[in-house]
Amino acid sequence: MHTPSPPVVCYADAARCIVADIVSHRLVAENTYRLRIDCPEIAASALPGQFVMLRIPERVDPLLARPLAVYDTFTAADTEPSNGDTPTEARRRYADFIYTVQGKFTTALKELAPGAQLLVWGPLGNGFSVPTVDHLLLVAGGIGQTALLALGRECLGNKLYGSSLRSVPRAKRVTFCWGARHGGLFGDVTDFRDAGMDVRLATLDGSVGHRGTVVDLLDELAQTEDLLHPQSIHIACCGPEGMMAAVARWSAARKISCDVSLEAPMACGIGICFTCVAKIRDAFGEWDYRRTCIEGPVFNAMAIDW
Amino acid sequence: MSNPNKPLLPPPVPAPDLSVSLGRLRLPNPILVASGTFGYGREMVGFVALDRLGGIVPKTITQLPRRGNVPWRTVETSAGLLNSIGLDNDGIEAFLKNQLPWLKQCGAPVIVSIAGATQPEFVQMADQLEGVPGIAALELNISCPNVSHGIDLGTDPEMCRRVVAGVRGVTKIPVIAKLTPNVTDIVAIAKGAQDGGADAITLINTCQGIAVDWRRRRPMLGNVIGGLSGPAIKPIALRCVYQVRQALDIPIVGVGGILSIDDCMEFFVTGASAVQIGTANFADPRASMNLLAALPGALAEMNATRMTDLIGSLMAGAGAPAGELQKAAGNQTHAS
Ligand SMILES: Cc1cc2nc3c(=O)[nH]c(=O)nc-3n(C[C@H](O)[C@H](O)[C@H](O)COP(=O)(O)OP(=O)(O)OC[C@H]3O[C@@H](n4cnc5c(N)ncnc54)[C@H](O)[C@@H]3O)c2cc1C
Ligand SMILES: Cc1cc2nc3c(=O)[nH]c(=O)nc-3n(C[C@H](O)[C@H](O)[C@H](O)COP(=O)(O)O)c2cc1C
Ligand code: FES
Repeated sequence: MHTPSPPVVCYADAARCIVADIVSHRLVAENTYRLRIDCPEIAASALPGQFVMLRIPERVDPLLARPLAVYDTFTAADTEPSNGDTPTEARRRYADFIYTVQGKFTTALKELAPGAQLLVWGPLGNGFSVPTVDHLLLVAGGIGQTALLALGRECLGNKLYGSSLRSVPRAKRVTFCWGARHGGLFGDVTDFRDAGMDVRLATLDGSVGHRGTVVDLLDELAQTEDLLHPQSIHIACCGPEGMMAAVARWSAARKISCDVSLEAPMACGIGICFTCVAKIRDAFGEWDYRRTCIEGPVFNAMAIDW
Repeated sequence: MSNPNKPLLPPPVPAPDLSVSLGRLRLPNPILVASGTFGYGREMVGFVALDRLGGIVPKTITQLPRRGNVPWRTVETSAGLLNSIGLDNDGIEAFLKNQLPWLKQCGAPVIVSIAGATQPEFVQMADQLEGVPGIAALELNISCPNVSHGIDLGTDPEMCRRVVAGVRGVTKIPVIAKLTPNVTDIVAIAKGAQDGGADAITLINTCQGIAVDWRRRRPMLGNVIGGLSGPAIKPIALRCVYQVRQALDIPIVGVGGILSIDDCMEFFVTGASAVQIGTANFADPRASMNLLAALPGALAEMNATRMTDLIGSLMAGAGAPAGELQKAAGNQTHAS
């Protein structure tokens, strides 16, 4: 028998469930699409690192919704050419997602044209909360960049998500390291560059950027950087599990704080099914299965039993 | 002056009586949410007006905390969901301390689902819950496919009778036995529950199944075998309700594959006094509310003013599809 630690009180109370129209949908990289939906109820409050559940209404195959990270959100004024008037409605209205085609849901989703509807609930999950540091390192593998753009933007003062009253720690620099199998998989890298991030790419086949993995990019960075003050650096990471575990080991060895966003399979996204569990350690080192949809998906890398 | 263009309003229809009885348990309406598919209720506050539900069955609790099965714990199959959660829960003590105080004030009848590994453990848990305020009924999960104890209490009529009788012996709380469809003769097990003194039975828990990733030559679920739920199992659930209703006189709570109001009505007509919404909560967190909103209209369509007009009203013999009947009726009107 194990003694469970007291429940962490977190619920999806702020989430809304709505039917949203697809506004735009386009290919941005190999097998990778960018989707924009009209969902003011969700876009206005979504914070960096949060996600939504998306489903094609009325379908029983696929039956369940799938989680996608909120990549970015926009107001109407952001997306329409300005007519010189100051926008009366500055609330964020559109949410963008970038996804790779994997299986049942994403194969069906990519066929949907603007005007089609999706059932959406969110925003969900805890999102990233970043300590005040000089240098924020965003580390993505595969499609993991989707969880990180908004965080980088906020820390550079480029954009503020959610309530205009939120205060967000600023970083002097944001470096974005992104690794993929080959260069054709990088979509909309300009979003990161235009936001003022230092972008470094790695591919396994060397077709774009450094030949190797994101850990090689981190090693390279460590040679040029003074790592004597690890407390002035923070890592936020999202990608395949093996890659996140490697980044977690890398940062632990250098005493750099590291948060990761887990991509556990999910059936509900709101804490009612107990599908999405990960082994999480409490302060005493005792592990328990925790629901990553409501207690995560972002965890301190040290708390995860990889 | 009255406007001649104004359409004549139909005379106001009195709101139908949605209340139902399950033995000693009376519920405000027949739309309940199923154990393991609604967390502990608190999770759903943002999506569901809990006080409007006919009842909440929170996730099954066990005597001792259980971490549950290794991931993957669910995998989607054709029009269904295969799960092997493995009764991940913090145990009865933690439930009484952390979950029930909130649940009992949420406004819906709370039907506490318990699973014992043995008959004495069921009785011990029921004894511990006796006298605890805020519990409308107990649902005995003698059917969970994800925990193997050597003896399977839910697949043997005599074991089933002894579990229910043991629980009835220590508590005044109404008792509902939830049965597994993974048996040869569902009526025999239901008879065991009835003989043990159950107020009602819930039909059905999930159907056993597996899913395989042939490319990796591996089973998909960490636990290999799981329980299938969702639209794929509705015909099986309806068949169980049908057989038990034909053979026995015990109130039935129908569950299995309900997504739409049509699904609910099929269960009522076949013989279920109430239904539980399970996997549909995952597909749309507002599912229970949508069904509740659609229920009065569906009753009106059947000229029913209360649930009892409907429950078990299935007629013998296969009829022509409803569309055909309507057409025939239309033709008649035309001819006369
Ligand atoms: C919080 C969060 C955020 C996410 N954000 C994004 C995002 O921004 N962009 C993005 O592209 N993806 C994201 N994902 C992943 C995304 O949810 C999945 O890619 C998506 O669910 C795939 O659905 P599908 O129906 O297309 O594929 P599925 O048919 O569900 O299959 C997906 C893959 O998993 C495999 N698989 C399925 N079931 C099992 C099993 N039981 N065991 C082993 N393997 C299995 C399949 O073979 C396939 O390769 C996120 C996930 C989480 C949890
Ligand atoms: C993820 C999941 C977890 C479940 N957990 C429980 C449980 O803890 N106790 C229980 O009695 N039934 C449990 N069930 C079974 C459901 O309550 C229900 O009987 C079954 O899913 C069939 O209904 P549905 O098709 O509407 O989902 C679970 C089902 C699912 C899908
Ligand atoms: S996905 Fe259902 S509990 Fe997390």
